[in-house]
Amino acid sequence: MNSKLSAISRHGWIAWGAAAVAFLAAAPALAQQFTGPEYGEFALFGLDRRGAIWIAAQLHLLFAAFVLGVPMFAVVIEAIGMFGGDQRYDKLAKEFTRLLLVAYSATAIWGAILVFFLSTLYPNFWSYLTGIFAPSMWLYAGLFFFESFTLYLYYYGWDAWKKGIAKKFHWGLGIMLNVWGTAVMFIANGWLTYMMSPPEGVTAETAPPQIELWSAINNATWMPINIHRLLANVVFGGAIVGAYAAYRFLTSKTDDERAHYDWMGYTGNFIAIGALIVLPFAGYWLGREIYEFSQTMGITMMGGFMSWLWIIQAFLIGILFLAGNYYLWVGMGRIPGAERFQPYIKWMLLVLVLGVIVWATPNTMIASRDEIAAMGGTHHPFLGVLGVMSAKNTAVNLMILTTFLSFLMYRRANREPVVAWARAATMLQGLAFAVCALVVLAYGIWGYFVEAIVRIGFSVYQVLAVLVTILFVTALDVLMLRGARSRGTIRWGHMPPRSQYALLVLAVTFTWLMGLMGFARSGIRQHWHVYEVIRDTSEQAFTPALGPAATMISICVALFFGLVGMIFWLGGLSEKSADQPSGATAAGTG
Amino acid sequence: MLRTNLKILFTVAMTLAVFTFIANVIPQVQSAVPEEIEIRADMTPDELVGIGETLYFGVGGCTACHGLGTRAPDILGVAGTVCATRNPGQSCKEYLWESLVSPVSYIVEGFQPIMLDQSRLMSQAELWTLVAFLEAQGGEVTVGPDDFAAAAAADEAALAAAAEPPPTDPSAVDVMGILRVHCLACHAYGGQGAMVGPPLEELTGRSYEEIERGILEPNADTAAGYEPFAGVMPTYYGDQLAPAELEALIQFLMEGGAPGGSTDGSVGDDAPPGEDRP
Amino acid sequence: MNLRRQPIVQAAVVLVAAYVLFEYVIGYGLPLVGVSSAPVPQTVILQYMAIVIVGVLVYFSADEARWKSFMQPVRDTLTLPDRRVPRGLLMVAIPVMAGWMTYQNVRLSFGAPATLRSIHPAPPGEITFRGEPITLTGLENPLRSSGSMEEHIALGRSIYTVNCVPCHGDRMDGEGHFAPAFNPVPADFTSGGVLPQLTESFVFWRIVKGGPGLPTEGTPWDSAMPAWENILEQHEIWATIIYLYEQTGFSPRTWHEAEGEAH
Repeated sequence: MNSKLSAISRHGWIAWGAAAVAFLAAAPALAQQFTGPEYGEFALFGLDRRGAIWIAAQLHLLFAAFVLGVPMFAVVIEAIGMFGGDQRYDKLAKEFTRLLLVAYSATAIWGAILVFFLSTLYPNFWSYLTGIFAPSMWLYAGLFFFESFTLYLYYYGWDAWKKGIAKKFHWGLGIMLNVWGTAVMFIANGWLTYMMSPPEGVTAETAPPQIELWSAINNATWMPINIHRLLANVVFGGAIVGAYAAYRFLTSKTDDERAHYDWMGYTGNFIAIGALIVLPFAGYWLGREIYEFSQTMGITMMGGFMSWLWIIQAFLIGILFLAGNYYLWVGMGRIPGAERFQPYIKWMLLVLVLGVIVWATPNTMIASRDEIAAMGGTHHPFLGVLGVMSAKNTAVNLMILTTFLSFLMYRRANREPVVAWARAATMLQGLAFAVCALVVLAYGIWGYFVEAIVRIGFSVYQVLAVLVTILFVTALDVLMLRGARSRGTIRWGHMPPRSQYALLVLAVTFTWLMGLMGFARSGIRQHWHVYEVIRDTSEQAFTPALGPAATMISICVALFFGLVGMIFWLGGLSEKSADQPSGATAAGTG
Repeated sequence: MLRTNLKILFTVAMTLAVFTFIANVIPQVQSAVPEEIEIRADMTPDELVGIGETLYFGVGGCTACHGLGTRAPDILGVAGTVCATRNPGQSCKEYLWESLVSPVSYIVEGFQPIMLDQSRLMSQAELWTLVAFLEAQGGEVTVGPDDFAAAAAADEAALAAAAEPPPTDPSAVDVMGILRVHCLACHAYGGQGAMVGPPLEELTGRSYEEIERGILEPNADTAAGYEPFAGVMPTYYGDQLAPAELEALIQFLMEGGAPGGSTDGSVGDDAPPGEDRP
Repeated sequence: MNLRRQPIVQAAVVLVAAYVLFEYVIGYGLPLVGVSSAPVPQTVILQYMAIVIVGVLVYFSADEARWKSFMQPVRDTLTLPDRRVPRGLLMVAIPVMAGWMTYQNVRLSFGAPATLRSIHPAPPGEITFRGEPITLTGLENPLRSSGSMEEHIALGRSIYTVNCVPCHGDRMDGEGHFAPAFNPVPADFTSGGVLPQLTESFVFWRIVKGGPGLPTEGTPWDSAMPAWENILEQHEIWATIIYLYEQTGFSPRTWHEAEGEAH
């Protein structure tokens, strides 16, 4: 019955036995340090203490991602409008900044709830954290103040600083907004990565004042998490913009509105998928750092009790790729000239479906006894080949390449290059795709024959090959389409509603994926508040199985979209009062 | 308008429902907290008994033999009452402690001396919780803080000893220590130890090779009178003892206790604190 | 109307073909041509088919015209007056199917439930060997840096021959003469999925603690592997590990580039 009482605890026992006497002797001194109760009680809405902190933290994070991702989006869009001279972009950027104002309060409210929950439900742990991080918390508050103030300037100054140098200054404000926001996120990341990977030498006996602040912040997983979250916020920002556009598209009453929101949805989706393509790169880095930090933690994450989480993740990413491509393919229906690419769609779809199948093939299969006996273990003798990293990396890289091809076709659909070398360049592009696919496949197959450390290096080469191809082909495409003849304008707004539902599914899936990965990141600490330093001694110290975790994530995502829906609605409300006179014609013709 | 909103709501809710459903239909694995039981000297008898119970049914592996009725006595429910009557002059606590750390010292009628010295599997503090648990089987728990104070010291010493490299100089070997740890569970020497195997004094004067073979290949032949116990002696001493230790031990047995350290052959002098106290 | 051009028929053909591929070609067809394979677990087939169904729907709804002609038979069956009979049959068939599936799900069966057993569970950071604590994290095989490799291999060979062959087989392929009796079957060391995926400290832990020492996610641990700590010495286990890698030609997994090259 007791495999749990295995190795770790065995040694623990001896140590405890030995420490018992020492502890008794030192008890009076220690007793004064920890006076309050170790944990506070919580029992509302059927939630326990962990459920409460889970929801508060997750919603705070989602809104924080919103107010970090959307300004990135806004500032890029404003720049496109400013340098490209298209007023549509400027209007779009402002529309989003208006949503930010409400989203900021939501972020702050959930942040306050989180802090109150932490300090009342986990008082000892909270005082431990403040003992180490107090100065950075003050800095955090200061930066948050600057950030909010910059946002107010940015939004309320939009129409005042419209022209010339003032517009540039205004754009600079937008950049500052992002700088403050990113700095705030980096600081908060320092706290949570400390919980995952405390610096070497920190033990349960180390008193908080003895831990140097910078070493605590700059721990093994800090930078990887920073980069990973930065990129993910761009994805998230784009996805939320897409969802907003889809919502407004579906509830639009005029063709002009539909045209505007169709275009906005396309832009949001473009940014989201574009950033998603580089996200795995940051993910590998983070995973590698986790393995470097603690192999036990790494195996718990990838091969231990969390291994099934990655199958769910594969399923979600499969949905993202399929939905993203689907949106593009449906969108081709509104582009004159896109018909000529129709025959390729089924082959691209085939690659995607095969890719998802490979990616979702579990390494350890769920099987009944008879099936296990027939397979000779939980590894399938044939499909097992698809269950390992080499196959999965190859699959996902080919899926990325296919998605890029969809974008390229979409871009090319209504344009006809006029330059003389267009045919040669197109063939060169095709060649680049073919070479890249071959390189990815070759490394994938070669990966079966080398040891793990080399194989991990291969995944980097595969991603690099794809990135280089994307850059090269894009550059060629831009040059080639200079002054291209149009086959007809895009009929913005002429989209079947199901494409908009695809955008909604994309946003929900992104958000849910963030919740799931957050569970993975924080769950691999298992029964530790600070990994192998501060033990979780509450009754919720166990790490829940995927089912209960998924239920919690769904609750958080539903709450988030409920609140975001309200923000969207508020945005529409103020628009009605403010923009009524100028009318809805600003959407332009596209 | 309302229809569209409901459709949107439905799409979001269905997406969430599908994800939640999939995550719930796969077999669920929850990562439990490894049980780390803190043994403190100031615990109440009930707490000690609780820990002992966990050990008894868990890592202690006691139920592999006790309770089956054939290999070892069935002790649940009775250990606390029979313990005081087994060995006249020993208190219940002393008897139970001895039966854990030197199990073959007293063999219950009708059973074989097969039980291992449990102090090699568990810490002394853990053993005391087992004693408490066994006392509670029909008797009164008398294990107290004093027992744990000594146990903690013994555990620390054991940890320190495990970290030391094996000796390389035969003359520096603590032969009495080896006898105590490895031999006296079965063999008698200097009036101490058990009678599963022949008394070690009988080896005095035999050749080095003969004794070496007796240790390394113990079951090659069996001394007269000990046939029931043939094959009991473990074969792993060649691995457990460092070459220097083996050499010192054989010299010691050949000469009947001459070289190095304690020549008087008394074992009790430097017995560990855990053993001489009860 | 030409049936072969009817999208809904095409979709059905694709789905049936995919099912035949997953269930029969992979499970039973491949072994006929000499590729090692086995029937695919139901859960995996379900997963694959779900993906294929999504793919089919994506294909037929990506183009407006195609989607219309895909839905046409559905719409016709549900609305046209002369389709009353098939419509009625559908109205009966769909609930009956749902009922049948529900029945299949809830009826008592005698098979053990499908289990999720992680084949490579996370090792603890620290274990005890006969009570002596050993830190596994970052632990290297001590014998690789001391003594003669030939001696280690010779020792490992003799230990493997005496203790391991009955289950793991003399060819190290997990086909020892006891093997067929066990479920899960003994590990196949010649497989690329075992030794090269593991660090030596992981292998050490598995030998020392055996089946009983598997953590919860490695359960149900009906693994017959004994905990060897009570039988073998540490250096013997390390020597056996060296022998395992030497004999199979694999290199242990390492996490540092420099060490990776050193092997």
